[in-house]
Order: sequence, then structure tokens, then C-alpha cells
Amino acid sequence: MTNVLEVKNTGIRFGGLVALDDVNITVPEWEIVGLIGPNGAGKTTLFNCIMGAYQPNTGSIWYRGRDISLLATHRRTALGIGRTFQNIGLIRGLTVLENFMVAEHSRISYGAWGALLGMPRSFAEERRLKRNAMEVLDFIGLPHLADSHLDGLPYGTLKLIEVGTVLATDPDLLLLDEPSSGMGPDEAHEFGERLLKLRQTLNLTVLMIEHHVPLVVGVCDYVYVLNFGKILTEGKPQAVREHPEVVAAYLGGEAVDHTSEADPNTEPEDAGAPA
Amino acid sequence: MSTAEATATLEPVESTRFTPSAQGWIARLVVHVLIFGGALLITAMVPGYWAFRISLAAIYAIIGLSLNVVLGYVGQVSLGHHGFVGIAAFISAWYVTTKAGCSLEQGCSLSSFFVATALAVLSGGVAAGLLGLVALRIRGLYLALITLSYGFMAETAIFQIPALTRGGAGMPAPAPDGFTSDNRYAFLTLAFLALVIYIDWRLIRSKVGRAILSIKHSEPVAASYGINVTAYKTMAFVLSGMFAGLAGALLAFRVENVVSNDFDFSLALLWVLMVVVGGLGNRVGVVVGSAFFALFPFILSSFGTLKNFFDKHAIEPELVGLALGAALALFTIISYQGGIGEQLSPLTRWLGGKPFTRHPEEHAAPKGHQRKKLLSRMGLDKSGETPTEESAAVETPSEPVEEDA
Repeated sequence: MTNVLEVKNTGIRFGGLVALDDVNITVPEWEIVGLIGPNGAGKTTLFNCIMGAYQPNTGSIWYRGRDISLLATHRRTALGIGRTFQNIGLIRGLTVLENFMVAEHSRISYGAWGALLGMPRSFAEERRLKRNAMEVLDFIGLPHLADSHLDGLPYGTLKLIEVGTVLATDPDLLLLDEPSSGMGPDEAHEFGERLLKLRQTLNLTVLMIEHHVPLVVGVCDYVYVLNFGKILTEGKPQAVREHPEVVAAYLGGEAVDHTSEADPNTEPEDAGAPA
Repeated sequence: MSTAEATATLEPVESTRFTPSAQGWIARLVVHVLIFGGALLITAMVPGYWAFRISLAAIYAIIGLSLNVVLGYVGQVSLGHHGFVGIAAFISAWYVTTKAGCSLEQGCSLSSFFVATALAVLSGGVAAGLLGLVALRIRGLYLALITLSYGFMAETAIFQIPALTRGGAGMPAPAPDGFTSDNRYAFLTLAFLALVIYIDWRLIRSKVGRAILSIKHSEPVAASYGINVTAYKTMAFVLSGMFAGLAGALLAFRVENVVSNDFDFSLALLWVLMVVVGGLGNRVGVVVGSAFFALFPFILSSFGTLKNFFDKHAIEPELVGLALGAALALFTIISYQGGIGEQLSPLTRWLGGKPFTRHPEEHAAPKGHQRKKLLSRMGLDKSGETPTEESAAVETPSEPVEEDA
């Protein structure tokens, strides 16, 4: 089994703040890997490093055996890494349909200057893009929203559109940043089932930041716990959930008093319990 | 329950897209012909000094569309556009006079005119491309300051190079053969305006425009969609500079003698104002707004009493445009957001085959009950699954279905 993504000894600092310190993560083909940790642990920073939005100070990022550390973000997308954002990553000024067409950007073959001069090929391809986008919209059940703007659409719909647009970039590896935020427990459960189905049909590998513990336990094959920029522990979700340091750092110290006695170092980290 | 299963069991959503009837299309065609035919007819019929102003309006519209790329699409301010336009004007004049051997007595061949225009477009593109490289690193107020100093640099340094500008006497740029009359030259500028409008339309309707608008909204999101942020930002500036270069060449051949005083900062300011009043990012609005600012001072001063007033107090008509522009821009920002383009939007939408309305959203989005049904279908709205009063109401057949199609 090949490793789709490898994060090797990655570290980044902002001024005096060490956001990530010697982080190692491996995402094997076809696995759903969870990344958990309290707020401010550096999870989204790690996503930014993987996508190339930040340049790490140390270490390297490997995608399918290739060092991509120096590639620009759009090149990484073209390779097959898709990413959702914590606050919905859609383009507000464009319509729903146009958002899908933007997402298909790296698969457009006509040249930018040729398009401005109205080359016949660009017209034909624009029609094809539009058809593709409408098909995806049909699939997620929102064809009637094609021409509407994003403002005023409900949060859940926007989330659905975002996942749809990221799938439209044709990813191999999906980076999901808190997909269940804003969802209730039932919805989160349903989302987990959908994700498993999606992996089946589209052959996806997933790295997912998630706070919702039942969802993590339900869908993830493997879990990394990040705390203060370091990997605290890793393992199967069940094992990680019962790991004393994780319980203390992530779930809050008061939940299991005996563990904080076992390791007094974790005592001051209580504050990071998630909402 | 997966999305696929959920959608498979339910009837397809009825299309709410509006299409006009045959009479509707004919009515739209007639209005199109009236607007464009009227404009061409006016250009053909009016006396020369009016045609001279119409060509200015067309050139201002090109400049407006040029600025609109930077201001409306990229979202950055350029206060140095008189630099791009001026340099291009001087380069085209310099080419026809010193390289192509044109003179005001003997005129100028059409081929020299096109070579000069191409050079002007190229110079505008290069100059703005350099600015674009700066804009990759600096934005907002600081970029505005850089463009401002670029404009002043052009004014005080480049426009003073005697070989290029012949000092205060100016560089001759005779109008090309066949377009020496003001009316014919106005048609030439209108043809170039049509070309620029076409390119701008293709820009917005292709991946380029979507990429640039995405970058304006959020660079990280755009990049993660696979858009090369650096390349498209630079491209936007280059394109803006090319439009400005074209406008510069057309200005040069219009006045036939380019003087450095013609390109000062107040022009750059006026151009920014006319784009804001026209409506940022709105093609029709920018063209109408620009034409308005080109024609209005002239219309004002052509009334006898006002002209006497202007003459008596030695008020430049351009100054009136600037003062009026500031007032209208304030008006636009405070109470008429979207400018002229937004005010004209019902008409432009109607002409484009959509209903005559200010709020297209209401015609596109489903009404409350239908949206709720869709949400429950997607499993996003829980109330649709539990038999509450609300969801029972959703299912009643008496509810009307989308009446605006």
C-alpha cells in the first residue's frame, strides 16, 4: 500500500511562536486519517503547510513519493490535493454554478489569452464545463440554485456546495477542515456515512481535522493527536480515545481525574477543551 | 441515507429558468437596434465638433474599461493611469512622426497608424505589467501611493524627454488616411471600443474572469481551486495596460498633436471617479459613466448662458467634470451602490433575455416552501423528516409551485 501523503519533520514558527514542531504524518492510500487536538494546536496551520499556503521552516511534504514542498498551491491542486476550509471556502462574488466552474479550473485546456480573443475552442469547452457543473449540481440536488448568489443560502447548503466544488477539482486526496462544524450529532453521523460512501465511489484518501469525537471514531482508520504544535500520540481511534494524555489535553482534565494525577505535566493544558 | 438515494426517490426539481416569448425576443431586438443604430446614426449626422466629442467619449469608455479591470475585477486602485495612457500616446506619435515619416501636411498611412497603435498597446502592457509585479507584493493604500508616484514620475520625467515629446510644442500624430474627418475618426474609435467591450465580455465569461474575481475574493481559496494567483493578477494588470495603451494611441491621433500637459493627475482622478460612478465591475455602467463624463462638460458649456459664465470666470469645463465627479461618486457610495450600471441593470438584464427586474435573485431561487423541501431531501433540514406542522404544510398539494417562470 502506497503512502499518498507524507509530512516529514515539518516545523514552522511565526516570530517567537512555534506553531508546528517536528510533525510527522503518514496518510496511506484509501484511508481516512483523523487529525484532532484542541483549538490552537496547529491543525489548520498543518493544512496550510500541506497546501503550500505557508512555507514550513523545516521538513518536507511528500505526495505519492514526490517532494512537493516547493510547489505553489495551484500546482498541488492540479496534482490531486483538494481542500475545504474551516469557514466556508467559496467565492462570494460568483454564482453557485460559477463556483463549480472555478473549481474545474485546472482541467481547462484552452489558453487564457486565446479565451480573450474568443477562440472557438474556448466556447466549446465553456459549454462542456457548464454541463459538467450542472451534472454535479444535479447530483447534490441543487440544480435550481445554479444562478443564485451565495449570500442568503443556509449554512448547510453552503457546506454541501463547498464539498461539491472541492470534488469538482478531481482530488485524490481530500483535506477536510472541520467538516462537521455547525452540524448536530445526527447530521454529523450522517455526514460520516456519506463520507465513507464517497470514498467508495470516488476512491478517495482523506485527511480530516475534526472535533466531533464520535465521528472520528466512526469513520477514521487512524488518528493523530496534535497539541501545542507537536504530535502528542497516534494510533487507532479507539486506542487514542482512551490514551490518558489525550483525554487530559483534548477532552479536558476534569473528565478523568486519575489520569491527570498520573501525568501532572498535562495539568495546565486543560484550557484547550473544544466547544 | 446518501445523497444519491435521497434524490433518486424524489421527482426532479422543476426548472425555474426564464425564457422570453417570440414577441419578447422581437421587442428586445428592436430596442437593441434603436440603441446601437441610434448611436451610429448620431455619429454620422452630427457636425464635426460634436463627433470630436463622441470620439473622446469612446476613448474614455476604453480607459474606463481599462481601469475597471484593475479597480473592479482585481480590486486595486490605480492613480497612475494617465502615465500609461500618456506614454502610449507619445510612443504612437513618436513612431508615426519620426519612424514612419508622417506629417500633418502629408497625412499618415493606415498601416503606420496600426503599427503605432500596436506599439502603444505593447508599451501600455509592459508598463502596467511592471506595476502588476509590484502589486503582487503591495496592495491597498500603499499600492495606490505607488501608482500615484508612478504617474507623477511619468509626468515629470518621461513626458519631458525631448526626443519623445518635443518639449512644450508637442509631437504631431496626424490622423490616418481615410479617417481624417472627425466623424470618420469617431467611427474608428467606436470600432475599437467594440473590440475592447468584446474582449472584456470574453474575459468575464471565461476562466480568466472567474480566476481574477476569485482572487479578489480570497487568494487562498482561489489557489486551492487550482488558480495560479501570481499569473492571473499580473495578467489583469497587463490587460488593463494594453487597453490604456490603445486609448493613448487613439487620443494622440484624435488631437493630432500630443502635448505633455494633456496628461496630468487630474485626468487619472477623473477616470477613477467615472469608473466608480459608472459602477465597479459593471461593463455597461462603466461605458455609460465614462461617456457621460466625456460629454457632460461639453454639453454644459454649449448652453449660451453657462458658457458665458464659464468664460467670464475662466472655469475649465474639465474642472466641472472633476467637481461633479466627486459629488456623484459620493452619491454613488452613500445611496446608489453599484452606480449607473446598477440603475440600468433592469434594462440590461431585459436586453440579455431575462425579466425586467431589479432583483434577479427572487426569480432564480426557490421560494420558502420549495427550499425547505429541498433541504429535507438533502438531509440538511431535520424538520422535513419529523411530522411537525411545518413539514406537513410543506407537503400539502394546495401550495402553489413557482409562479414566476
